[in-house]
Amino acid sequence: MKLKFNGLLVLLVVLITQITFAQDRTVNGTVTDKSGLPIPGVNVLVKGTSNGIQTDFDGKFKIQAAANQILVFTYIGMQKQEVAATKTNLVVKLKDDSVQLEGVVVTAMGVKREKKSLSYSSQKLDGAQINSSPTTNFLNNLSGKVAGLESITNTNFGGSTNIVLRGTKSLTGNNQALIVVDGVPIKNDNLNTSSVKGSGSGFDFGNSASDIDPNNIESVNILKGASATALYGSDASNGAIMITTKKGRLNTGIGVSYSSTVTTGSIDKSTFATYQKQYGGGGYGGNDDFDYSKDVNGDGTKDILVQTGYDISYGNKFDPSLMVYQWNAFAPGNANFGKPTPWVAAVNDPSKFFERSFATINNINFNGGDDKSTYNFSVTNNQDKGVMPNSKLLKNIISGNYSRNFGNKLKLTTSFTYSDQSVLGRNAVGYNNNLIGSFRQWWQTNVDVKELKQEYFRDQKNIGWNMADPTAGNLTPAFWNNPYWDRYQNYETDSRRRLLLNSSLSYDVTDNFNLIGRVTIDNSNDRQEQRKAVGSYAERFGINQTTQSSGYELYTRDASQQIYDFLANYDLKVSDAVGIKLLGGATLKHSTSNSFDGSTNGGLVLPNLYTLANSNSFIAPITSAITYQKSGIFGQASVDYKKIIFLEGTLRQDKSTALSKTGKNAYNYSSVGTSFVFSDLIKSEWLNFGKLRVNYAEVGNDPEPGLLSYKNYVSTIGTNPYYSNSTVFVNFDKLKPEIAQSWEFGLESSFLDNRLSFDLSYYKTVTKDQIFRVPQSTATSYNSSLVNAGNIENKGVEVSLTGMPVKTKDFQWQVTVNWSQNKNKVLSLDAGRTNLQLASFPFGATLNATIGQPYGTLMGTDYMYDTAGNKIVGSDGNYLNNSATNNIIGNIQAKWRGGLFNKVSYKNLSFSFLIDMKKGGSVFSLDQGFGQDTGLTPLTTGTNDLGNPVRNSLADGGGIINPGVMANPTYTTTNGQPQYIANTTRADASTSSEAGLGGTYGITANPAKAYVYDASFVKLREVGLTYAFPTKFYDKTFIKGASVSVIGNNLWIIDKNLPYADPEAGASSGNTQGYQSGVMPTVKTYSFNLKINF
Amino acid sequence: MKKIIVSAALLISLVSCVNESNDYNNDHDKAYDVPAKVLITNAEKELADQVITPSQGSNIFRFFSQYWTQTQYIDESRYILLKRTVSDVFWDNLMRDVLGNLEATKKAVNVEVRSAATSQADFDIQQKNKIAIVEILEIYTYQVLVDTFGDVPYSESLDPNIVLPKYDDAAVIYPKLIIRLDAAIANLNVSGLSFPQGEIIYNGNTAKWKLFANSLKVKLGINLSDVNSALAKTTIESAVLSGVITSNTDNAKFPYVSISPNWNPIYNNLFSRNDYVPANTIVTDMNTMNDPRRSAYFTFKPGTTTYVGGIYGAANSYGNFSHISAPIQAATTPGILFESTEVNFLLAEAAARGYSVGNTDEYYYNQAITKSFESWGLSSIDAETYLADPKVTYSSSLSGSSYKEKIGHQAWIALFNRGFESWNTWRRLDFPVLIAPASATADAQGKVPVRMTYPVAEQTINTASWQAASTAIGGDKLTTKIFWDKN
Repeated sequence: MKLKFNGLLVLLVVLITQITFAQDRTVNGTVTDKSGLPIPGVNVLVKGTSNGIQTDFDGKFKIQAAANQILVFTYIGMQKQEVAATKTNLVVKLKDDSVQLEGVVVTAMGVKREKKSLSYSSQKLDGAQINSSPTTNFLNNLSGKVAGLESITNTNFGGSTNIVLRGTKSLTGNNQALIVVDGVPIKNDNLNTSSVKGSGSGFDFGNSASDIDPNNIESVNILKGASATALYGSDASNGAIMITTKKGRLNTGIGVSYSSTVTTGSIDKSTFATYQKQYGGGGYGGNDDFDYSKDVNGDGTKDILVQTGYDISYGNKFDPSLMVYQWNAFAPGNANFGKPTPWVAAVNDPSKFFERSFATINNINFNGGDDKSTYNFSVTNNQDKGVMPNSKLLKNIISGNYSRNFGNKLKLTTSFTYSDQSVLGRNAVGYNNNLIGSFRQWWQTNVDVKELKQEYFRDQKNIGWNMADPTAGNLTPAFWNNPYWDRYQNYETDSRRRLLLNSSLSYDVTDNFNLIGRVTIDNSNDRQEQRKAVGSYAERFGINQTTQSSGYELYTRDASQQIYDFLANYDLKVSDAVGIKLLGGATLKHSTSNSFDGSTNGGLVLPNLYTLANSNSFIAPITSAITYQKSGIFGQASVDYKKIIFLEGTLRQDKSTALSKTGKNAYNYSSVGTSFVFSDLIKSEWLNFGKLRVNYAEVGNDPEPGLLSYKNYVSTIGTNPYYSNSTVFVNFDKLKPEIAQSWEFGLESSFLDNRLSFDLSYYKTVTKDQIFRVPQSTATSYNSSLVNAGNIENKGVEVSLTGMPVKTKDFQWQVTVNWSQNKNKVLSLDAGRTNLQLASFPFGATLNATIGQPYGTLMGTDYMYDTAGNKIVGSDGNYLNNSATNNIIGNIQAKWRGGLFNKVSYKNLSFSFLIDMKKGGSVFSLDQGFGQDTGLTPLTTGTNDLGNPVRNSLADGGGIINPGVMANPTYTTTNGQPQYIANTTRADASTSSEAGLGGTYGITANPAKAYVYDASFVKLREVGLTYAFPTKFYDKTFIKGASVSVIGNNLWIIDKNLPYADPEAGASSGNTQGYQSGVMPTVKTYSFNLKINF
Repeated sequence: MKKIIVSAALLISLVSCVNESNDYNNDHDKAYDVPAKVLITNAEKELADQVITPSQGSNIFRFFSQYWTQTQYIDESRYILLKRTVSDVFWDNLMRDVLGNLEATKKAVNVEVRSAATSQADFDIQQKNKIAIVEILEIYTYQVLVDTFGDVPYSESLDPNIVLPKYDDAAVIYPKLIIRLDAAIANLNVSGLSFPQGEIIYNGNTAKWKLFANSLKVKLGINLSDVNSALAKTTIESAVLSGVITSNTDNAKFPYVSISPNWNPIYNNLFSRNDYVPANTIVTDMNTMNDPRRSAYFTFKPGTTTYVGGIYGAANSYGNFSHISAPIQAATTPGILFESTEVNFLLAEAAARGYSVGNTDEYYYNQAITKSFESWGLSSIDAETYLADPKVTYSSSLSGSSYKEKIGHQAWIALFNRGFESWNTWRRLDFPVLIAPASATADAQGKVPVRMTYPVAEQTINTASWQAASTAIGGDKLTTKIFWDKN
């Protein structure tokens, strides 16, 4: 002890001497790579002090140092270099580190590994790529940037993002990748109701990965395969998104960076309905559908009235000379009250309903540290006003971390994230109660939205275009509220507060033996409120989904997840050639989820008071309290030979409370993989790096907890409470864990001074004994059974290619291509089933898993075809329908996906753009099905082959000839087989097909197949222009760096086959895709960003 | 090394933390075991809702009988069942929600424990009565299913372990239902208790359940009269001897209340939407008959004092036609599952077919019409006046050329709020003559449907069984007749 004290004393003396005697002077310099190109952002530190700085854009630095001091230069991908500060002008060339080049990546459990040792595929994106566009959910910025990643950003305001790696593996379970922050999994729940997840009605509340502050992300590493994630167990069987947050760095400056972004946007018109402008509202009664039976003005003659109750546009042809009593003639106080108005198309169609969006994101970050401690602290404020009137998102995220070394052996790291989000006025999704559904499917083209706006804002009443029976004094809506009433009275609000805490203690027992203990707490509180104001159109509302004309619903959920980890690392160098790394650990996850869902019943007693107590009658809330525990013990052994051949294996055993003790609640699984760095054997000029990898992994999985069949309280009638039997049959004791098996082969290479590199993977995954609710005949008295069943296979290829065609001092051009193809096949189901219905969509289509087909077959009615495959037309000129509902009419799986990223830099200016592509896959559009049925789309007008308007009656030369064949009327045969000839029968197109008077367009006349579209797209996803101010601009100030950027997002859908909508639009993230009803248009955004470092 | 052992021990202790109790996986806010009384209430509610609702999405018999028609979305009036998957909803409601909950009720009854206050003998009687009532409701439900679809799963149904049950021949199911019904009647002890609470159709009154069960026998028996007259005869005659519902005080009614979700489903469907108006088919006919029940069935056309029905199968402007009357669409109007009007018409038909039912066809015909008037709040004098009209009088040739026409016509008018029963009577008697609208879907082949097609989900889930059943009945079509529908 005494000795140690003396040692410290000596050190102190030395330090004092240094401080006293060192003659500081300014050392200037430039840091370049080996080809002489300057490297900005290199850390320069005076060794043994906290004096440090980063190089500027030109690779230049200035630092105070004494001649006897040493400067340390560090930069990712380069070898660390120490240079004595003997001269005051230095030129430092950093060497590529062949190890560092490939980099160190964060693997499962937060363990860092050299990338070259990995036997599996991983793809890393740095913070700049994650923050390339301003966003509330960083997952949105992954689209097109990672091979094998399907990131579907739907168009909902604050909506959820589907994030699936290497295809759908679970038939009905979770297929979303695991989100891991600094080594520990966090929840990425989507609080959408099962109805919304199945494309039904409700709201898309987004997914909780949006609680991560994109500004605070240092890098993201995507682990695509099961082998990569085997240590996490089943939670990561769909791959993992490993987030590394920004850490404190040794820094002497103030260490503050500030970023401010302003974004504005408007809808992409190619993704919203286009309206025909020739015919107005009405059409159920034929193409002269005015009501001529009433004398409105009392002058003794009957007047012309539009049928306001009809929400379609197959009515009379527009004629400005025709004076018609329209909805506004019945709205007291309206300028046109009591007056007929000319029969013309609306000046402002519903596309004018959308406003300009406006958002700001401000972030300030404090970062620093010394040789013992580092810290990083970040605050982000985000305000977002959507394109829908009265929509707003507010979010604040505070996050920080702190680490400190106690002596040489003990290190404490702790971090926190607190996010607080509140949203007002999300757009509704699904068929019912969805305003956009009205715009796309049920509308009168003579109605002007600006006039509806004036009408609503005049006295905030629900007087609108769709009056039930105005001449009888009934102005209440037949089906649709005034859209502004919907937005300003019947709005939803929701909020989420989330706190993520993480602490870990690392202790080096010996130089090569380290122990880590880690605790992570993830708590969230959600609150969602829905309102229906007194005076609204009555429809399904509340927890019982009964018809209500007003009401209030409150949903809250408190969820908590605690994870305790112990890890032991042991590194062993057997000889110079052979190294061994051992890892052992244990983990325990404990989670609880308590929810409450209550609503008023029978309407609100007092208007405008939104509380549960303000209910006409009591209705018991639905509450739920589920707890869950899972523990795991695991081990990993890695061996390398001369760092050329690596071999790694893992073993894990899990125990879950979601499986029965009498069944099998403990289960084992393992992985093994190898990588071979062949470039170290073939020394070659052109080959910089080459690696082959192959691995195999098995991962077990347990079911979702709390799924046992309970008796469900329904209501109380009189004094009799009543309960229903469960609709899901569960034999808990029979359930066993599901197993996913996967193997993967990969090749990574880089050439020509690393100017060209690629990563190629081939993989195959088979998921067996899946635990899911298998639909069964309801004649069993259950909808489904929770069983182990089903086998699904995914195989695919992923390629990612990076090249730098031009690289000079001033000019650089970088290209990245990502391409992936996943082939998915349902191999078997259960108990004789050949088809598994996953979702049943309103009006005519189902989503299925069908044996022998890729996951996600769309089924429904089809055309009838002749032997040559031509569509057969019936005697009325309409297509004949094959009314069996199990025809396969499409499949949601894409053929391939790709992304092309280009970045060109000239001096301080850089320009980049990302093109995102998807080929294949189907989408069923109810928007088109009804939009045609109701005569909204331009397709339903125009002229026919005779040059007459198609909407003329057949007698008047109207109608169309549907392409196809018809039975030859002059051909007779004895065997009953008709002969088909090209169709010449003209079909009536004068009214809605629903009216039963003919009518050839729309879903009533045509099979579901007619509304299945190819969902391919080519999108210009991102465009960015950045200018970094040269040092001379702020040389004399405390500013260390500044840049401005202009960014465009979703500016152009270069190609698509789905009319009037974005093929990616949908109700929610999850397994149910391929259906559109009342989807939001895409928003094009333009942003301006300013970044300053101090 | 020691440190390694210590840390290993730490890990193992951590792992042993998982709770090993199977109950741990339960949702702590949910009920896993509930008494039978709360399940029977639910089953009765589900049954009543399905039978009574006029929703175009689940019960379209009011359209088949041309009582109601749609105003704007007229698909179901045109017999398009696929758009709103009507068959799926109907089938699920009866199979899963009614029969499933009745089965769950049985299981709960079977595990009930006798309280000390009840003797073993009384307890045994009570439990037997409970099971008998559940059985009667199950048989009632199966009949609706068989009559609607034809072959349905029966011998393999209601077993969660047979996930894809085969369909049974409807003609084989019928006699089995009668045997089960006989057993249930035999097990009913009218002097004993059944459900003291929860059974809210008859409040556990076993004597009334016996009337209900016998009436159900008549309802099953009469359908067999064209295909198995001998069985029809014995079934009906034994039922009548044992006692059936002939008085309105014995009607089986579900007591709806004023508050959602326990209000009458007709109210639920009509109070906020203008989807339906009475069809011209029934309104015109009742105008011709000058039927006083019109005021109970319809309102006047707005602004007039006449009854005008919407054109069946065409789009109709709501404001231009009569509407469904206020009493029918009141929230608290009870839902009728069985009534004396219906039973009297069945007995009139049985008598006309030559079965011995204690009275003549004319007697029961007059009774049926009188009970109908009473149940709609009209006086027996009104009924007498009506019956005296030669267009109504049973013995008059003006009321029809055959018993089928006479009974068919009057039953059709009387069963206005009983869509399914009316459709059944029409299929059996082929009167009144109903004509499919010009707008009808091609699938109906120009006829009023005599069957509903199987659910979409059975096609996509229970494919092989559906295929076999479709072949067995002669095609899964709207035009395929049920086995007993011979003409």
